Amino acid sequence: MQVKVKLIGAFRTDRFKENIAEYPDGTRVEEIFSQLQIPKRALGTVLLNGLHARLDDVLNEGDTLTLLPILGGG
Amino acid sequence: MKSLTTDPAANPAAILYHRCTVDLKTGELRYTDVPCRNLEDVLGGFGRSFQDLAMRQIDNAYCDENPLIVNTGLLTGSTAMTALRTYFSGYSPIKGSKAGRPAAMWSTGSGKFGAKFKWTGLDELIFENRSEQPVYVLIKETVAGPQVELKPAEHLLGLSTHAKIMALQQEYPNAHFAAIGPAGENWQQNYMGAVALSTENQLKSKQDKCRFAGRGGMGSLMGYKNILALVAQSRDKLGKVSEAVKKVNLNVIKGGGSARLQPISRGGGGGTWAAYDVLQAFHAVPVNNFRPQGNAIPEKLFRENVEKEYDIKSEACYRCGITCHNNISEKGADGSKGEFLAKFDYEPLNLLGTNLGIHAAGEAARLIQLADNYGMDSISLGVTISYLLAYNERHPEKPILNGATFGDYEKIRELVIKAGEGELPEIGRGSMRLSQATGETGYAYHVKGLELPAYQPETNPGYAWAIAGGHMSMATYGLLTREGKSDLDSWVKGITQNKLHMVGFDMIGLCKFFDIANGIGTQMVVDCLKSEFNLEVSTDDIRAAVRRAFLRGLALELRQGYTKAEFCLPAEVSEDPNSHINLPNITSSEFIAQLEKRVWEIFEPELEGILD
Repeated sequence: MQVKVKLIGAFRTDRFKENIAEYPDGTRVEEIFSQLQIPKRALGTVLLNGLHARLDDVLNEGDTLTLLPILGGG
Repeated sequence: MKSLTTDPAANPAAILYHRCTVDLKTGELRYTDVPCRNLEDVLGGFGRSFQDLAMRQIDNAYCDENPLIVNTGLLTGSTAMTALRTYFSGYSPIKGSKAGRPAAMWSTGSGKFGAKFKWTGLDELIFENRSEQPVYVLIKETVAGPQVELKPAEHLLGLSTHAKIMALQQEYPNAHFAAIGPAGENWQQNYMGAVALSTENQLKSKQDKCRFAGRGGMGSLMGYKNILALVAQSRDKLGKVSEAVKKVNLNVIKGGGSARLQPISRGGGGGTWAAYDVLQAFHAVPVNNFRPQGNAIPEKLFRENVEKEYDIKSEACYRCGITCHNNISEKGADGSKGEFLAKFDYEPLNLLGTNLGIHAAGEAARLIQLADNYGMDSISLGVTISYLLAYNERHPEKPILNGATFGDYEKIRELVIKAGEGELPEIGRGSMRLSQATGETGYAYHVKGLELPAYQPETNPGYAWAIAGGHMSMATYGLLTREGKSDLDSWVKGITQNKLHMVGFDMIGLCKFFDIANGIGTQMVVDCLKSEFNLEVSTDDIRAAVRRAFLRGLALELRQGYTKAEFCLPAEVSEDPNSHINLPNITSSEFIAQLEKRVWEIFEPELEGILD
């Protein structure tokens, strides 16, 4: 299945802004996150098709996955 | 601080803090060792000062009976990382109820002044009345204990915050400083004066790299009292770092809480500036007076775009490993670093940049620099100006003041300068008063008279219960955006249980970035108190003390005449919902009404008798 992955902020450094790739059916968010080698402590929010999601959510064909760094403070 | 117990929760009176009370009218000084009333007193900061403010009925911030309380937290000046906080408390000139009475307020900043102050041997300074002549206050360590002196300060009048500090450094090379700018000197016309706190970096580089206790106009109160600066002169007394504190400090750096603040080169998020990227994913970056347009305009101030033209350097506070600052300098054609401009933190950058329609980094940096040099709270300043620009946009036929509109840098710059010089009370007295004067209050972005930070109110109805300005006294700003919580139960729990604990950092002397998600009721803090002072305190005791301190703040607001109807977001939020923000709507009238009902049902019984 095809999934679009969007990275926000510092996650883009040495990676990409947006990438469409093929993944096996049943792939979970966590598996893509692990492949990207982003430190877990830096992950703030996961969006799946614009809605808040969890690392153990399963992806489907045509999904857009967005990974955001932690937000907080000013 | 004298400690005659290891159990301050059970026996707070056996902990005594050292206070100097200064009568500015007579010059009389009184030194006392004050026994603590409760654990809030022991922890310090606003936990202590608000109990003292509650003992006074103040109807006007600019009166002799309104004290300026300068104190530290228990851990200020300790080996715990980030322990640099100084607190300034008093009844605020800018934050006040519609009944016309000022709210109790505190403001805090880092820099090294707090540690130096603590190392003089003093824990608290209370300024009573006001001085006839401008003075600065020298607090020095002597063999006989801390000594306080009032010194003539005419030579400092009119200088910027940075210039005052540089002038005083010539005279006191081993000291650190807290200074107001021209805005605080012009307290009659400017209620948003900040207090600048010197940093090691500033004193060494001679560049204007102060930190600020900005909120609530404590610099204006200091100006009213005719105090232009404080000088803390002592030896550095940082003790050897114990194994227990080393472990805590390592956790502060490596733990999740500070991850987003570490430099990008270390795998971090790159400081608070990174909020731009995250909030833009939801089209929730404030634009043109808090009206995001669903477009890419905020991206112009993304770091990746700014660093093409400017030099960005990550720097840290004294002994702090978080390294959260992003200092921006001009970049020469050959790539060399030029003049230092400003520190790009999310709030000032947005509120003096994108939210004014300013999208050029250099222009935003110059506005931040001006606000800092004049000693004005960049949040109150930016939001008051954005209100004015919104008014002028709505009334092109009859604009007010200099007719500035969104994006008009030169005219906005003029507003900042004139406000700082005390020539524009319409700006200097804040958005609540300006909007009352125009009669258009619905799009003035303040809550309870204090301007909102750069998080859309649509994402944070918790602002209404913040006691010293959201977002730093109510940590619900990420509950919807980060955590995705849009149900009533989560918001009631967030406001009344978990997120209010952020204010604990404004008691104990630590920066919020020590552990922003968890507050101070943690094993890390327990370990620091045991190691530094041999105090045995439980996390439950700490959390209970923080909750009492927070509730005391709420009770004080009600006592100062706030009605429950004033605990509300700007009307525009629910009357004209912004469909561009890609998040569930949690600010409808119905949702807010339910939230208010349930939050007050929990808070109200606890408020009874809390000020007695």
